[in-house]
Amino acid sequence: MIVKGEEYALKAVKQQTSDSIVTADRGTIVDRNLNELAISATANTVWVRPSVIRSQGDDLQEQQANMVYEIKQLAEILDMEEADVESVVMSDSQLLKLKKSVEDDVVAELREAKLAGLEITDEPKRYYPNGAFLSQVLGSLNDDGDGLNGLELYYNSTLSGIDGRWITNKDNKRNSLAYGVDKYYDAQDGYTIQTTIDQTIQKIVTQKITAAVEKCNADRAMCMIMDPKTGDILAMAQTPEYDPNNPRQPLEADAELFEEMSSQDQVAYWNKLWRNFCISDVYEPGSTFKLITTSLALEYGVTYLNDTFYCKSVEVADYTLHCWYYPNSHGQEHLYEAVENSCNPVMIELSKRMGSDRFYAGIQNFGLTEKTGVDFPGEGNNILQPKNQVGLATMSYGQGIAVTPVSLVSAISSIANKGYLMKPRLVKALLDSDGNVVEEFEPEIKSRTISEQTAKEVLGIMEKVVSEGGGGAAKVLGYRIGGKTGTANKPENGGYSDTDVFASFMGVAPIEDPQLVILVIIDTPRGVLYGSSTAAPCAHDILEEVLPYMGIQPNYSDADYKAMKKGKLTVPNLVGKSGESAVGILSGMGLRATFTPENLTAANVTIIDQFPKPGTQTVSDSLITLYYEISEDIIEEEE
Amino acid sequence: MKKYKVTVNKNEIKKYRRVFHQMDYTLVITALILSLLGIVLAFSASYYYSISKFGNPYHLLIDNITWYLISWGVMIFLANFDYHALRHFAVLAIGVGLVLLTMLIVLRGTPLVKTINNASRWLNFGISVMPGELIKPALILFFASWFSAQPNAMKDTKSVLMCFGLLGVIFLLIYKQPNLSTAVIVVSIGAVLMLLAGLSKWFLVGGVGAAFLGSFYLAFIDKGYMHTRFMTAFDPWADALGDGYQVVQGLLAFGSGGMFGKGLGQSIQKTLYLPEPQSDFILPIIGEEIGLVGILGILILYAILIGRIMSIALRAKDTFGCYLAAGTGAMLAINIILNILVVTASFPPTGVFLPFMSQGGNATLVIMALLGIVLNVSRQAKQPEEDE
Repeated sequence: MIVKGEEYALKAVKQQTSDSIVTADRGTIVDRNLNELAISATANTVWVRPSVIRSQGDDLQEQQANMVYEIKQLAEILDMEEADVESVVMSDSQLLKLKKSVEDDVVAELREAKLAGLEITDEPKRYYPNGAFLSQVLGSLNDDGDGLNGLELYYNSTLSGIDGRWITNKDNKRNSLAYGVDKYYDAQDGYTIQTTIDQTIQKIVTQKITAAVEKCNADRAMCMIMDPKTGDILAMAQTPEYDPNNPRQPLEADAELFEEMSSQDQVAYWNKLWRNFCISDVYEPGSTFKLITTSLALEYGVTYLNDTFYCKSVEVADYTLHCWYYPNSHGQEHLYEAVENSCNPVMIELSKRMGSDRFYAGIQNFGLTEKTGVDFPGEGNNILQPKNQVGLATMSYGQGIAVTPVSLVSAISSIANKGYLMKPRLVKALLDSDGNVVEEFEPEIKSRTISEQTAKEVLGIMEKVVSEGGGGAAKVLGYRIGGKTGTANKPENGGYSDTDVFASFMGVAPIEDPQLVILVIIDTPRGVLYGSSTAAPCAHDILEEVLPYMGIQPNYSDADYKAMKKGKLTVPNLVGKSGESAVGILSGMGLRATFTPENLTAANVTIIDQFPKPGTQTVSDSLITLYYEISEDIIEEEE
Repeated sequence: MKKYKVTVNKNEIKKYRRVFHQMDYTLVITALILSLLGIVLAFSASYYYSISKFGNPYHLLIDNITWYLISWGVMIFLANFDYHALRHFAVLAIGVGLVLLTMLIVLRGTPLVKTINNASRWLNFGISVMPGELIKPALILFFASWFSAQPNAMKDTKSVLMCFGLLGVIFLLIYKQPNLSTAVIVVSIGAVLMLLAGLSKWFLVGGVGAAFLGSFYLAFIDKGYMHTRFMTAFDPWADALGDGYQVVQGLLAFGSGGMFGKGLGQSIQKTLYLPEPQSDFILPIIGEEIGLVGILGILILYAILIGRIMSIALRAKDTFGCYLAAGTGAMLAINIILNILVVTASFPPTGVFLPFMSQGGNATLVIMALLGIVLNVSRQAKQPEEDE
């Protein structure tokens, strides 16, 4: 009897019912001290119903006049072109967006004007109050308000909360009716995520690496600081940063270039800009990896602190592996001296003594064979050498492998944490919008890498590298700092670049109770390009401010007092040292180095002469001229 | 206790008895029920629109009640007014009707003519006057007096041509407003009266054929305004936001109401989905609120009303009265049928009011006035011979 009744009824319900989304507020991102790093606020959007605007009045003339008046008013209040408003008003659509991000006072003005056919909604907008700061860690949002990258992406569902719904009957002008259906499901706001980042440390780090890039005339620099006891990443910075408020805006310097790019290149540009180096990219660690080899050798008992070695070229399979110092030799040396000298044959010897199975198992234990599982999207995969003798040998001194900074820092942190490898993390707790803790994440122990005793011994070696060896530039008076520099040629076209290096410094402080592990990487420094001359001084600048900030009191040793007196210094003998060590030693004493010839392009050089001569009395901050020759390649195929 | 002797003036009793006994209760009560239902249903349909347009839910209700009071006054007056006297106004009425229709065309664009959505259907004399509505009783009166005075008029070719000429002029004047539906209704009423007066059935056949051809031309060959209207009738969903909008919204209302409706006052389609829910498209709102059952009830009332009017026409004392009553019945029937066809998407959507239900002062006044005349026809038909 009733034909199509249900179909029509359904259509009627569809038209009469408004199922509007009650947007959940996106959670805030705060640093470990609850400073706001990303917050959500609402921005107004003005919508128009074109047909309503066009049909005010009883006859055509009146409608026309009213429409023209309204277009004029809208254009004036919203500061738009009349033609633009008109094109929207003339549209056939039922409801159209007229303007986004309208300020509250403008909205008030609009409401005051009492214009027909307008709707104003507030939509959430994300603000990053610090602008271009911590951007590669925080990430940003896409146009839909979802995480695009970084923590915003990784914790998107946590941050975004659950939208509510409001189902209600509405009249044709979308006003709610007093009768009919009315159901309201409240939105569940997103949680605030409390990161492990310390905003102050991050600021110091950012400032110092930016300065280092300028000083070293480098492409860029990265730095991360980890609390070895918890795996908390206290700072993770890289240059250049972008403004997550406006993630698609190119850097000022690239603006013109960007304009000319194809859209494909523009996407590539953004991806490069947004990429978090410390987690997503790998680099060749170079000598800093020798700390891992040394730790494992000590742990397996194949060597001991006072063990002595002789520096000589090593035959592995069909290859002859030389020390970087070749054809010179470090001669007889203690284990710690070998680390200090960055002596490659010693590392090869240690790896041989361990055997590939144990060495690999150890590396695995250090968490270097797989992703760390840090709470961040797009973690890179470490690239290790194949499990053969040459692979084993080169890997022992950090060559031919590539690791993510976060994995290496975690591994070294385990040495600073009595052998406990912590899972690195960027978020420590979830809070509700009132700041109450909803969930606190416990630090997670991943594995036991070495014994407490071994850890202590390695830390001792690291301290010596800074106090006496090539890491001297990182020395901060009053603090016991351990570290190791590294300089590794960048891979290029399947081989290695002759000129471009990653110069790095891995540090632990303070040695007696390590509170932080720091890694500074300078990408392609020009001029003096050693880790000791670029990354280590940068680490020094950072530690000098961060250690006191962290409440670690300085404890001056006699040597420190001596250095502080800025008394007379004796020029050390640097002949035969590597360029890297020489610079480090000089910086550690408060002397400056200059090279002749000036354009130092190769990573591996040996000092052949110096001025003033060793034993000369000089004063702090004096310039020492170093003459050098380029060392041979350290891997040579046997003929 | 004392007993008083009550003296009654026998003439007084006779007079009252005559008034009540001679009153056509069926017609009056049916009309009363329909009027009250109309007021209630139109109020339910209009209050939301009224708030939206006038800021007062009762604005249109008060308007409607006022018109009904006036109309019932006019009805009561005419019920007691010897309809034979109306004969004297027949020419005047059709003349005034034609003048008013001509004014709409001539004065278009001046403040005297109200134009809504490109249609000039209203004269603005302080109150809105719809010449298209007023011409209906005028035509009924004119034809009734003509055909009763000249019983053989429809056998006379000249008279027939004059009638067709008059209908043609009226049709064109109303069509130009434009208001095709009213033009069709007016011509149909005229045609019904002409047929009753003895016009050859072949004219009916020819007329219907011509109407078919005409609509075929307008719908498929001319491809103008009527083409879209026509297509909309068959598939209103094809242009649900444009020409088919009201029909579609009406169908949605019917569908929502179903068999028993959502209950009085519960319509949602009236909340501005239908632009003027108390007007021509009130039936869907009624359907939404009181369902198919409610609509059938109203249709039964209509059937009783029209049946009664037609029986009065048959029993009328003279042909003048017969034509007046028959014309009234025809007018109501045509309006009701056309309205139902339109709102159920069976006929091109045009403005046809639903008697008693659609709110519209002029239409209400015209219906009640005609009913008053019919009541008088009825009374005179029943009057005993000796009283005359």
